[in-house]
Amino acid sequence: MGEGQIRQWEIGHLKLRFEVVWSMAISSLRVRLFRSFLTCLTITVATAFMMYLLTMPRAAEASEQQSWYLMLTLALIVAAAGVLNAMLMSVSQRYREIGTIKCLGALDTMVLYSVLLEAAMLGLIGAIAGAIAGGIISVLLGLASHGGNVFQELELGGLGYKVMFVFFVGMILTTLGASIPAWVAAKMPPVEAMRGEK
Amino acid sequence: MTTAESDSAPRQSEHVQWFANLDQQVDCTVMTKGVCKDYVMGEITIHALDDVSVSIGSGEYISIMGPSGSGKTTLFNCIGGLTKPTAGSVFIDEIDVAQLDANELAWLRCRKIGYIFQSYNIIKVMTAVENVLLPMLFAGVPRDDAQDRAVEILERVGLGDRILHTPKELSGGQQQRVAIARAFANTPAIILADEPTANLDVNTGEQIIHLMKEMNREMGVTVICSTHDHKMLDVSDRIVWMEDGQIKQIRRREDVDIKVDRLAEKE
Repeated sequence: MGEGQIRQWEIGHLKLRFEVVWSMAISSLRVRLFRSFLTCLTITVATAFMMYLLTMPRAAEASEQQSWYLMLTLALIVAAAGVLNAMLMSVSQRYREIGTIKCLGALDTMVLYSVLLEAAMLGLIGAIAGAIAGGIISVLLGLASHGGNVFQELELGGLGYKVMFVFFVGMILTTLGASIPAWVAAKMPPVEAMRGEK
Repeated sequence: MTTAESDSAPRQSEHVQWFANLDQQVDCTVMTKGVCKDYVMGEITIHALDDVSVSIGSGEYISIMGPSGSGKTTLFNCIGGLTKPTAGSVFIDEIDVAQLDANELAWLRCRKIGYIFQSYNIIKVMTAVENVLLPMLFAGVPRDDAQDRAVEILERVGLGDRILHTPKELSGGQQQRVAIARAFANTPAIILADEPTANLDVNTGEQIIHLMKEMNREMGVTVICSTHDHKMLDVSDRIVWMEDGQIKQIRRREDVDIKVDRLAEKE
């Protein structure tokens, strides 16, 4: 020890380590498991609805087409708002923690990426669950109304693309919803953050 | 706190002569030159710091005394690069903190400065060892090495048997020990301790102060510690009195011994 006495030092730079970002995001998810689960559920419901809208038997009339797009848009907005809200909560609960780790030398980007990564992981799980759930709901509702020939009635053309589409939209929405809270957290001045203000 | 109405021109303060003497000292860890910090609150400007100049040598243990609102915390924040002074500059080993960019400031906070807070600020969701690990991970130390060092330093502060405990399972004094271990993890040059004993009972507080003094001796770290408690002054090399954002007095400990004793008697 005694390194503190070395006078010949130069200011250095900190590098962002993915390992640290990863472990911070994981620990944050683990600690707030129930809230994480609820956020995930929001995303699941929204993606499931989207998946259902894409695969359900579609009517040919233009007016119904319009309301179909409207519903799709609404589902997306609800999902984004849910994620935004949940991540804002998550960040505001952690003001003090964020202030402290900034005092310890955490980079703004580290805080930013760990919040984004946390949201992206929620988005990933939620979107997968949602895509599956949406498909199942579609089939079940189809069975109820059309009976045996359900698979002819459902819009299953390009199913793979639809799953991919729903999945990516879910992920992107989650990350977008989290980007504002992540930015707020990253830019927070450490002193104010530690007092729990702002 | 002085307000906008009062005269804010530089005043000839008692420390000027002392400051002149200290210029001869070569290795200076912390130096503030005419640091001012104003907070604008609506119509009123509050001078939290008013022309504070102080030089602190390497390895010194400095106690800062003063009533709450006297600017101790603001001074700490300025030294630690957490707050930008309105005027004046802070030098740490001749490096002007104001000239550093965000990454360099983070580096400085991470590698050269250790913070100890009044309310411990241990991360609640992490174990003691994870808390101590954190600054080392930020500094780029590989996890295994950081783990070894974290355990070693927790043993040093007397928490060897509690490394896997979370803050909930630790007493205030133990939490503050974790905070000390965390502050010393990256072998900093300066420790900024902002009323580290204010939330602790007298005995625990004294233990904490003595621990900090021991670390200060062993590692040659400069310790700047603010306190309300006269009993805590005994370990310091010099004592700085602050009032209304200004330095009123700086004395060596030898010179204030009698005063401390008398105050101790009163209590």
